[in-house]
Formats: sequence, C-alpha cells, structure tokens
Amino acid sequence: MRLTVFCVLMGVLVLAACATATPTPTLAPAPKIAVEGMWGRPSPKIAQAGAFYMVIRNTGAAADKLTAARSSACTTVELHESYQMSNGTMGMRPVTGGTIEIPANGQVELKVGGLHIMCIDKKVEFNNGVKLPLTLVFAKSGEINVQVEIREQGM
Amino acid sequence: MILLGAAVLLVGRWLTPHTFHGAILQSPLPAQDFSLMSHVGQRVALSDLRGKIVLLYFGYTICPDVCPTTLAELAQARKLLGRDADQVQVLMITVDPERDTIPVLADYVVHFSSTFLGLRGTPDETAQVATYYGIYYEKHDSDSALGYLVDHTATVMVIDRNGYLRLVFPFGTPAEDMASDLQYLLRK
Ligand SMILES: [Cu+2]
Repeated sequence: MRLTVFCVLMGVLVLAACATATPTPTLAPAPKIAVEGMWGRPSPKIAQAGAFYMVIRNTGAAADKLTAARSSACTTVELHESYQMSNGTMGMRPVTGGTIEIPANGQVELKVGGLHIMCIDKKVEFNNGVKLPLTLVFAKSGEINVQVEIREQGM
Repeated sequence: MILLGAAVLLVGRWLTPHTFHGAILQSPLPAQDFSLMSHVGQRVALSDLRGKIVLLYFGYTICPDVCPTTLAELAQARKLLGRDADQVQVLMITVDPERDTIPVLADYVVHFSSTFLGLRGTPDETAQVATYYGIYYEKHDSDSALGYLVDHTATVMVIDRNGYLRLVFPFGTPAEDMASDLQYLLRK
C-alpha cells in the first residue's frame, strides 16, 4: 500500500518535472561561436596556395561543425590538416569527413603543422599587412565573416 | 664594473658547453656531394659551397603550411646571425620537380630570402640526392583542388664548413634555436 502511494507520488513528481522541462526553442542548447587571431603567412602569388590560421571558440552548450569556407581572394577554399609521421615525414590532406568539429564549451586551434584553412589558386598577392575577407560556414551557427591578416608570424 | 660584468658573462658563456638544439649526427665521411640545376639557371654542387654552412631542406612550392613556415624560420635564423649570415647558405631541393619548374622555384625561394637557392633535379637526380640524405618523399592523390600532394621528410640538414653533416633540425625548431647552434658551429 505504502509502495503504491509512493509510486503515484513519484509519478506526479516525474510528470511535474517533465512539464517544467518542456523544450522551448530558446532553451535548446546552442553553440556560440567566436573566431579570433586570424592570420596567414605572406607568400608570392606563384605559390599556388596559402594557409590561414585562427582559433575557433565555442562558449555554447552544443557542438558545431565548420563545414566550408570561401573567400574572394581564393578560387577554392578547403579545410586541411597537416600530419606528422614518426620518422619526421610530414604531409597534408583535406580533413577527414570534410568538416571540423567545434566541441561545446571548447575550442579548436587552426595552427602551423596542424589544421588549417587552405586558400587555393590565390587571386591576390599575400603581402605583409594585407587583410583578406573569409567567410566561415558552420552547420548550426551559419556564416561568420572574418578578416585574415597576412603577417610574418602568428601571435 | 660593467666591463667586469660583461667579462664574467663572456667567460661564463665560454665555459658553459654548448647544448645543441638540433639532433647531433656524427658521420665519419663528408656529406655526399651532388650537383643540381639552381633557380638562377646554373648548376650548383654542394662542394662549391665548402667554407659555408649549408642548410639543406627538401620541400615543394604547393606545400603551403609546413614548407613556408620552415623557410621563414630559416630566413629569420640567418637574420639573427647578423654579419655571419653570409657564412650560411640555405638550399631548398624540390621534391616536386614536375610542377616546380625553375621559374616557379625562383619566385618562391626569393620571397623568403634573396640569398636562398632553389634546386631542381630530374626525377632521377632528385631521388638520388634524397637517398643520400635519408629523405623520404612520396606523392599521394588527394581530393584537393591542388591535385596530388607530396609527403616528405620535413627536417633541415646542417652541413658544416668542412662538408660534414652535423645536425638535423626537426620541423618546428624555432629560429633562435637554429641560430644558436649555427653560431656555435661558426665559432669553432
Ligand atoms: Cu593545406
């Protein structure tokens, strides 16, 4: 008997909990993306490609994905990663799956020798001090426009 | 007082053994000589450069992350040497001779320093020189608009003024560390 009462009570509590937790669009966890420290190294136009580096922060409670990027300074923009093998050999490839995961409450650093955004068939000289427009496309956060500063060294 | 301080510092530096940043190689034989076409249109042999420290790097111009980073660090290391920079010759041998023609190579290396020499062999010559120095490189197809990419050993070889292979700098060695090692080799 006591047990039944307890169960009914529990049922009411659970229902109450469910009622208050009814998802509303504003309460759903969402990513919150900020992009900082965008830079690329100067290179002559004859160098077919140039790499862009930056830090992508996500202060939101949901993960997001960088799915693509584009720039008026490049014919094609790809998401790449450099990798190192044990014998000091290095290589580069488009990222596996074609996207870069940005974890909830985390950050991803695009840096020399690692993940980078590759600007292919450059349309302009990457001279020191030049700022290039870049649009980053995220699965949930949509498009974010940034400027990439061409300079000798990262911060 | 200041003079004394400076003297103590100098002697201190003199007495402290130099700790190399690069990996030390002790080869009993001089580095294998080779001769390749350079970006200035003349063949250059390693033996032509005896008397200078040679920094040997294998890369390619379509490599936009690792190679330009290394070449920029090498240019910076030379700058840090001040007047001694003349004693150091950087050579970049392309591992992609198909696409890195002499004019491409010329524009590319000069961007980093007007003193750098870009070298290009035939595919056979390139393979031969890479073998001498234990350099691995291999083309692989990619989905990239860049077409094929080349995996390659990304270290910098240091050949001393007498033509002996002395050090290897792994990828990512800061310019200051390379300059410190080079300064030591030049003083000896
Ligand atoms: Cu890349």
